[in-house]
Amino acid sequence: MKTIEQLRSSPWTAWLALLLIALIVPLVLGGYLITILTIVCIYAIACIGINLLFGYTGLLSVGHSAFLGIGAYAFGLIAIRFGLGFWPSFCASIIISGIAGFLIGIPALRLKGHYFVLVTLAFAVIINIIMMAWIELTGGAAGLAGAPRPDPIPLPWGDVIRFQSPLSMYYFILFFLVIIFVVSYRLINSLVGKTFIAIRDDENLTQSLGINTMSNKLVSFTISAIIAGIAGALFASYNTVISPDSASFMKGVEIVAYLIIGGAGTLAGPLVGPLIMIAIPEMLQMVPEIRQLLFGIILVLFIIFLPKGIAGEVSFLTSRIKSQPRNV
Amino acid sequence: MLGAYIAFYVVAFFNMSYWLSIVIAAIILGVLGLIIYRLIFYPMRNGPHANLFVAAIALLMILESAALLWFGGETKWLILPYSNDVIRFGGMSLGVQRLIIILATLMVMLGLELFIKKTTVGAALEATAQNREGAMLCGIKVTQIAAMAFAIGTALAGVAGVLIAPAVMILPSMGLGPLLVAFSAVIVGGMGSIRGAVVGAFILALVESLTSGYISATYSLVFVFAAMILMLLIRPSGLFGKEL
Repeated sequence: MKTIEQLRSSPWTAWLALLLIALIVPLVLGGYLITILTIVCIYAIACIGINLLFGYTGLLSVGHSAFLGIGAYAFGLIAIRFGLGFWPSFCASIIISGIAGFLIGIPALRLKGHYFVLVTLAFAVIINIIMMAWIELTGGAAGLAGAPRPDPIPLPWGDVIRFQSPLSMYYFILFFLVIIFVVSYRLINSLVGKTFIAIRDDENLTQSLGINTMSNKLVSFTISAIIAGIAGALFASYNTVISPDSASFMKGVEIVAYLIIGGAGTLAGPLVGPLIMIAIPEMLQMVPEIRQLLFGIILVLFIIFLPKGIAGEVSFLTSRIKSQPRNV
Repeated sequence: MLGAYIAFYVVAFFNMSYWLSIVIAAIILGVLGLIIYRLIFYPMRNGPHANLFVAAIALLMILESAALLWFGGETKWLILPYSNDVIRFGGMSLGVQRLIIILATLMVMLGLELFIKKTTVGAALEATAQNREGAMLCGIKVTQIAAMAFAIGTALAGVAGVLIAPAVMILPSMGLGPLLVAFSAVIVGGMGSIRGAVVGAFILALVESLTSGYISATYSLVFVFAAMILMLLIRPSGLFGKEL
């Protein structure tokens, strides 16, 4: 029994089990569920980026829809206009969203609190207007069609993965979700991550210890922009059509809302939030207006009563249960 | 948005006067503001600022989708008898509704300034904004003051909605653009200054109309926000705000 106890106490077992479920469930159930889960994975990637920024560094950005859009459009435009393949365009879009995050981060991070949030919001609106209005480049409101799927990967035994079916795209995006999740986990547990948490908890104190908080905040902002850009490029490749609507400022708000409902500053939060808030309304096939109404109400209720989010409250409860002496 | 809808229903459905609708909108939205404050913002008054911001956006989502379900998504127009009248003065021509808006803005600005600078309640409000704990120690009921400030804010937003209603199309989603511009105006003018808010609004409106006239109408909002970001970079506290 000792090995089982050890397994249970290892944090990786639960995550591996979750991954196994994520791998098997679409195979078994299939159909429309694959589409929903793919969208969930894309939003979960974006949420991980926001979680680094908001959950761990304490900076709220409601404007990451801009980086979703920049990633998507950079990927689509480079692939279509320059005729480059999937991987060069994908890498270029990551670099471009990183540069964009860095450049907007420099002025925005000089501000604090509400001012910072407002600049991110204004930035998202500006980017969205450019997407709508610069018709020669972006195709305007109609959007941009023909973003490529990933290149086929030949397998050693002669088969080829072509990424045409929804299931193959789901696994492709899940693969990125796992990589980004592991990277963010490693980052949070590194010295850089500890510095982020220190800035979140007390920025002045952190600064007084001789840590350059500005450059650390800029690193956090740029990384979160890159992750949002990856989510945008993956969405573009999955959807093949990119429209300004997919990067409207409401999307940036939704990402933050998913994270808060899932639990900001927790590892599971960015996964739980999108899963619950996207999958359930989709399965119930809600009317968009009613969905938005309920979404707003649920968000307010969470902020008032469960500000730690689902994952935060669950881990709080389990730690309470564990710390209590057992009367056997 | 709600103010504009109230104006529409008061005038078009109940055949009451437009002026009455200003009062009705102010009262209804003031009360609604009190309810919202008590239900949403009061319980989280000690939480982090980021949560307040997200709650405000959530509230926007709730009100917007509720209005969409309630009033329907089609555009409504509020037509007043003098809607098309124009006053000519020298070389300028000015729509009557726009004149009313300008006069009403001046009245609200003066009224608020007098209220805050000359009355005891106004002094308590300013004290709360400057130092919450200090105001509490002086026996000011901080939460009541905050609730009142919130109600005044929503009532004035309602008045703004009534004033703009005859000039624009009335839609559930009409609120977001003006909201963002209003925020930007407050930032440019400086938080905590009524004069600053009005001056900031004038500057941004000039930026918006000049750029849409001479450069491009589609990009005018880009220039408005660019002006705001520029202001934040040069002087984060705004034109009339105190140094941070």
